[in-house]
Amino acid sequence: MTKRLYDLAYGRSGDKGNIANISVIARSPEAYQEIKAKLTAERVKTHLDDLVLGDVVRYDLDNIEALNFVCHDALDGGGTRSLRIDPLGKSLAGALLYMVWDD
Amino acid sequence: MTYRIGSGQGYYGDDVTRALPMILGEHVDVVCFEALAELTLAILQKDKLKDPSRGYTFDIAIIASKILPEAYKRKIPLITNGGGLNPLGAAQVIYETAQKLGLKGLKIAAVTGDDVRDRLEALINAGEKMGHLETGEPLDPTSHMLANANVYMGAKPIVDALNAGADIIITGRIADPCLYLAPLIAHYDWAWDDWDKLASGIVAGHLLECTAQVVGGNSLGVIDTIDAAHLSQLGYPIAQVESDGSFVLTKTPDTHGIVNLRTVKEQLLYEVHDPANYITPDVITNFTTLALQEIAENQVRVSGVTGKPRPDKLKLTLGQMEGYMRELIFTVGYPEAWKKVDQLKAMIESTWDGLPIERVDYSYLGHNSLYGNIAPPNDDPLEIIVRVMFTAKDEKTLKTAVRKMMTHGLSGAAGMSISGTTISAKPRIVLGLFPTLLSREHIQARIQYKVVE
Repeated sequence: MTKRLYDLAYGRSGDKGNIANISVIARSPEAYQEIKAKLTAERVKTHLDDLVLGDVVRYDLDNIEALNFVCHDALDGGGTRSLRIDPLGKSLAGALLYMVWDD
Repeated sequence: MTYRIGSGQGYYGDDVTRALPMILGEHVDVVCFEALAELTLAILQKDKLKDPSRGYTFDIAIIASKILPEAYKRKIPLITNGGGLNPLGAAQVIYETAQKLGLKGLKIAAVTGDDVRDRLEALINAGEKMGHLETGEPLDPTSHMLANANVYMGAKPIVDALNAGADIIITGRIADPCLYLAPLIAHYDWAWDDWDKLASGIVAGHLLECTAQVVGGNSLGVIDTIDAAHLSQLGYPIAQVESDGSFVLTKTPDTHGIVNLRTVKEQLLYEVHDPANYITPDVITNFTTLALQEIAENQVRVSGVTGKPRPDKLKLTLGQMEGYMRELIFTVGYPEAWKKVDQLKAMIESTWDGLPIERVDYSYLGHNSLYGNIAPPNDDPLEIIVRVMFTAKDEKTLKTAVRKMMTHGLSGAAGMSISGTTISAKPRIVLGLFPTLLSREHIQARIQYKVVE
């Protein structure tokens, strides 16, 4: 079985205007150290490049062992402007958790 | 004794009747109903244009007839921002319902002051720049496409109304978590610069404001443990708050759902940007200092929240009418499915050539519509569902576009089918958002009271 980010973490995504945020919440302290070290904003941006057209900024929450990724220009205009099947970016967490984690 | 805040609504259309068990069981001291997502006000503006007495959420009528009598009997105040663009109109609905139900002595408060649609030019003349928060683009206050302009106000008018003995408070655009912060300030008499306490109230409000989403709804964290049959009946959450601001997040007793570290963490970061600087009108909240502790089944304690002084400017969001969109869904199958997709796209392009269609977007449902190029390639699929989205300034153009496509029934790709419900569907409005900032000195809330006799 291919190991994916979902094996280390879960998360939720949502919208504000044309910006989406994706939380990545570690399943264990060890998993948090691993994603904190390796799941950089650049890596997230590369993975989501077809969906997120703008910058990706990462915020760390050591207190709850979670990372928060803020993705700019991520919703085709956002809200009811977007022509996407998921205009509110509810599924974007899944897109990120699908990332292959083989390192 | 803690002060207990219940959450009865998380968006326009949420099941507000699930606030009843917490009221009937007297598990709460106050219940808040959060009804306004970013675009809700622009949607309500359409109602108001058709009928000036409207512009509030329909849920108000359900709250008035089903929930208010039980809450009033038990002296549990209700707070809602479902007044939308017309808090006074909503208050009138509540007044009339309460009168019919004989709720004598009920004090209704309506809060206005967030609507600046008619003041935009004056505000610009007063030196407010009001450029787009993300792009910097200037605001055109005279645009006829402008649907609404509402400022996110803070907790203050609700606190004042509670202190004046209001039993139900109806507001327009109050920032979501401030709805829930307000009763805490009124109850504990927290100072307006006691930033850590205010910030704790904001975190409580943020966790409560999406109702079922902190009780196992929309949750990957508890996908393996929640009972699927319970999802449609998840109980709504309650925060039991101490005078120092720390609180226990739980759910209505004897209802379905799960509150644990996972559901709380998921909701904590929901629609949050910089977690060390979560901006609201009353305080800037830091989520990175707090501690979570599961103290019992369905009870998570939240402590250690810190805050910083409130911002000088308030957020103002304008909604703009941009036109209409429609959707058509076609399905093609084996063999040569991708070639048939190419044929379909070519037909659409030539058919719609010359029509004032603004945007067209194709996606392939079940293949890459959600995740784009993350989806692994599929060179010879058994079936492809093509979703075509297209927009125009006017509804008629979209109707013409669909009719023209339908003339090609016998010339299309081999074996292609089209979803009949999408052919007959109504167009949907395209709305744009224009977020900006406004100095708070320009905003003065007004409270109007009415007592049922």
